[in-house]
Amino acid sequence: MAQRRVAAGWSAGVCTSVTVRLCALGLTLAAAVGIAAEPPYALIGRSAPDFALHAAAGDNVRLSEHRGEVVVLSFWSSRCTPCRTQLATLNRSFATYRSAGLSIYGVGVDDDPARSEDFARSARVDFALLLDPDKEVSRSYQVDNLPMTVLIDRNGTVRYVVRDYSAASSALYLQQLRALLNE
Amino acid sequence: MLQMMSHSTSAQSRPRGRARGGTLAALGATLMCAAALLIPVPLAAQGAPAATAPATVPPPAVPSPLPPTEVPGAQQGTKDVGKQLFPNAPKNPLAPLTESAPPAAPAAAPAEGAETRGLDQEIQGLKKDVVDLNKDLFILEEELLFPANTQVAVFVSVDVGDFFALDTVQLKIDQKEVINYLYTPRERDALLKGGVQRLYLGNLKVGPHELVAFFSGSGPNARAYKRGASLRFEKGVGAKYLELKINDRQRKFEPEFEIKDWE
Repeated sequence: MAQRRVAAGWSAGVCTSVTVRLCALGLTLAAAVGIAAEPPYALIGRSAPDFALHAAAGDNVRLSEHRGEVVVLSFWSSRCTPCRTQLATLNRSFATYRSAGLSIYGVGVDDDPARSEDFARSARVDFALLLDPDKEVSRSYQVDNLPMTVLIDRNGTVRYVVRDYSAASSALYLQQLRALLNE
Repeated sequence: MLQMMSHSTSAQSRPRGRARGGTLAALGATLMCAAALLIPVPLAAQGAPAATAPATVPPPAVPSPLPPTEVPGAQQGTKDVGKQLFPNAPKNPLAPLTESAPPAAPAAAPAEGAETRGLDQEIQGLKKDVVDLNKDLFILEEELLFPANTQVAVFVSVDVGDFFALDTVQLKIDQKEVINYLYTPRERDALLKGGVQRLYLGNLKVGPHELVAFFSGSGPNARAYKRGASLRFEKGVGAKYLELKINDRQRKFEPEFEIKDWE
């Protein structure tokens, strides 16, 4: 009886230690992968590069005209599936915070403007979707992942960047956006 | 036993009550006397305002913990107390306790305000200096980068604009694209209000050159509209100024594009 208890205790201890080690290994790997996947964004804290782009529908947009507003740039492509979901999320935040001085622009990086225009028509968002077929703007903003969201404060400084779309990143985006709007 | 205890307690409480009553009565009398004796004298003698007089009274009215010898002049009458109304009243040790704090606060507030005002003026002056310096640097930079003997500048102006809404202007000098400018609604409005935009500033050698400008936008009936205009000009020794003018040609209901040499 005593031997059974000892054996049961030993097996439980082994299981616990293995679980702890596996968790530690997982966390280490996750941290390593996270660090490798996200190098620091070079434009953070710098003045946002100015641009003027055609919109898929509506008027042209120049970034420098929106000094004094919090500007969110979301880079998208018609071939990027999460981009559509992210644009819908941005549209909700635009409806909420528009009156507080928020401007959102989607920047399409497709080579073919016609394809981008088709996507823009089907996306049905309230903010302007801009076309960047020459990719000058996406190069200047060092876009390395889609969707990518850049948050610019009222002084025209790049403050935050969100390089993916997930529930966690969406929550982080909202938190950062509120912080900028409150400044 | 209980009765005796209660009696004793009641007997003990009576003298205390009497003593308290006596003390309160004495204090009240002292206050009355002090008020009667001290207040009118300084008002009458020194002509102080009535509102400030009660504020200076408390020291003699409150029974002082100090022995009488330590307060010189406290019992000499009303003159010393009356002098407490004035900050420079000498030889009264109570005066600093009552008088020093109130005059110091109003004196500090104007000084602080004046200091803040001075700081604001200094900041404004610095801002103006920075703006002036920036302007001088800008002019100096332009003079260095675009000297007068090689400088060429191209301006854009719009007159009326009923038949054309400007979207982009592409500029080529000697078959080389130098600028492709995109207009936003705000910039269009500024041009329609009479603004003149400097579209391009560059350098050209002395000699013959050709300027070609392509205008695109929405024309009559909001249709896409694209036109070009060109000009051959001679670049001399001095700076060259050219203007791209967009006018409405009322007879033909269409826009007109011309390039004007300012000589």
